[in-house]
Amino acid sequence: MLKKTTIDKLPELAACLMEKGTLVAPVKEAGGFNFRAITDAAQVDLIFHNTILSPKTVFFPQTEDFVRYSVYQPILEAKPVEPEIRPTFLFGVRPCDVKSFEIMDIHFTRTGVPDPYWRKRRDATIIFGFAFDTSEEADPAEFYHTLGIGAADPDGSDVFMLRRDDVLFLKAVSPRGENLLGGLAGLTDAAPDERKYFDDYIAQGHDYKTRYTCVDAEAIAKEFEAIFHNTDFWTKVSNACLSCGICTFVCPTCYCFDICDETQFGQGVRRRVWDACMFTDFTLEASGHNPRTQVYQRLRQKICHKYSFHIRKYGPISCVGCGRCTRYCPVNIDIFSIVEQAVQAKWYKRM
Amino acid sequence: MAISFEQIEQHLKTEALKLLESGKVILVLAYGRGYDANHPMPYVAKHPSDVDNIVFNEYCTANLARYLTRYPRRTKIAIAVKAADSRAVVQLIQEDKVCREDLVVLGIPVYGMKNFKTGEVIDSKTTGGLYNPVLYDILLGEEVHGQPVSSPYDVLAAYEAMDKEERWAFWQRELGRCIRCYACRKACPMCYCDPCFIDQNKPKWGEKSPESPGNLMYHLTRFHHLAGRCIDCGECSRACPVDIPLYLFHKKVAKDCEEMFGQAAGMSIGDKPVLVNFRVDDSDKILE
Repeated sequence: MLKKTTIDKLPELAACLMEKGTLVAPVKEAGGFNFRAITDAAQVDLIFHNTILSPKTVFFPQTEDFVRYSVYQPILEAKPVEPEIRPTFLFGVRPCDVKSFEIMDIHFTRTGVPDPYWRKRRDATIIFGFAFDTSEEADPAEFYHTLGIGAADPDGSDVFMLRRDDVLFLKAVSPRGENLLGGLAGLTDAAPDERKYFDDYIAQGHDYKTRYTCVDAEAIAKEFEAIFHNTDFWTKVSNACLSCGICTFVCPTCYCFDICDETQFGQGVRRRVWDACMFTDFTLEASGHNPRTQVYQRLRQKICHKYSFHIRKYGPISCVGCGRCTRYCPVNIDIFSIVEQAVQAKWYKRM
Repeated sequence: MAISFEQIEQHLKTEALKLLESGKVILVLAYGRGYDANHPMPYVAKHPSDVDNIVFNEYCTANLARYLTRYPRRTKIAIAVKAADSRAVVQLIQEDKVCREDLVVLGIPVYGMKNFKTGEVIDSKTTGGLYNPVLYDILLGEEVHGQPVSSPYDVLAAYEAMDKEERWAFWQRELGRCIRCYACRKACPMCYCDPCFIDQNKPKWGEKSPESPGNLMYHLTRFHHLAGRCIDCGECSRACPVDIPLYLFHKKVAKDCEEMFGQAAGMSIGDKPVLVNFRVDDSDKILE
């Protein structure tokens, strides 16, 4: 079922979705685009490349309150915070970011203790994937092609969207998407030649080249294991690193958090807040010992976690090549280049 | 006179090679190629063979003085500095964080540098109104003269036009967007505290979550810790992934400081840091 609407009718589509639940879509802000809950249907803007923060913010917000409590009172005064979950439409997610949800599901729902916050939000959300514009040049930071992701992969989306000039095509990918699209007013059926255009576009998504290097999960895991103790290599690639948290905060597959008790004027809240392995105090132990005091140790941890430990433990590479870490790095450290160097590490070892 | 970036790059390579080959320094802090020509990155050359990797172009905005405090004292370092960066070196010497004797300062006289994220020319915004380094041992090229000189405080006009309430609302709004990645303090050459006050648990000075009270605590304290020390390189604002104009506050404090005490940060190694130096005739305006 391929439906279509026009870009100037986007506010109508948005209004329709807002009636059914919360609409979360890219909104232009001071520094660029970000996914935000839409309050005014005219806010939805699909002329963007990608957002600053990844859409993980929708399922895993930077701050999540667990328990509210009062001090100077028995502990029983503490009350769990029930997350407010409404049917949500996550609109305009790029294919590489859609892929990241699958990786994050491993950590939040498929291993260890399932995270009810992530799972409830994920279950309540319908994902509208959105193909990259293949007529545009790829952003120099991106490399999703390396991870085997196309510019127009509908996998993982419930509804997949594609823009052709002033027309927006919407195709149901999952049964949930099918149900939803069937009930949306204002959409018209696409003509057969448009259906062909849509199918061709998706098929050609893999021909769209972002930066590419041949990466086999098993082989790359082995390479990084082999150079783990090569301090020269890690010092060299981390010399410029400032050890700030940008790369992990904008990353769609970084999931580390800290549990904080924040009390003000007798009222407190226990919450989780994003943390970053690039911060000095991330591994600081209560004893005062810190196993990762050096910048190179922290950068090595971040990269090896994504391209080595994660593969060993869970199978897939924990990176989707969206390029955000590279794009927003204040000193242009590029994870792709580091991986590329590790792939070529054989020459490095001979040196 | 147009700036020739190739020429500066060539000078930088020649001098770096000489210094490393003679053993005068063990490392050269310069710029190297990033993932493409528009995205160079800070680069540490340690061997004469590393010198080939050095580049210099209009996107080499990073302030390398940030890395100086990472190396132990008595490490002989050569550092490439632009005008504002040289002030950071001077300020670090004033604060006794680095030794003058350990440094070979390679001064780069330059204008027309561009922010690599936006392509915007940063001259009028965050170079302190200077084109020539205030301190150098070797100058890589000729001093820039005849370029229009703008006051570093010109960009404050719109900000200063706001009254107290508007400024408060402005900072609440801007700092409310902060995601607490701490890139501003990490990119700052003057932010060398270990640990930073905001990372301390006992006592806890501010909340960790990216919400207004904690954000205000972090940024306002940082602004004041940099009073009389900020050398206007603009790295904090360029590092910010959500484009918070932190430089406005820093500039405003720097301007007040200069007006009250007649001294700008990092201009001469003979100066004492302005807030450390007590003089009987110091301005009392701050108490009014």
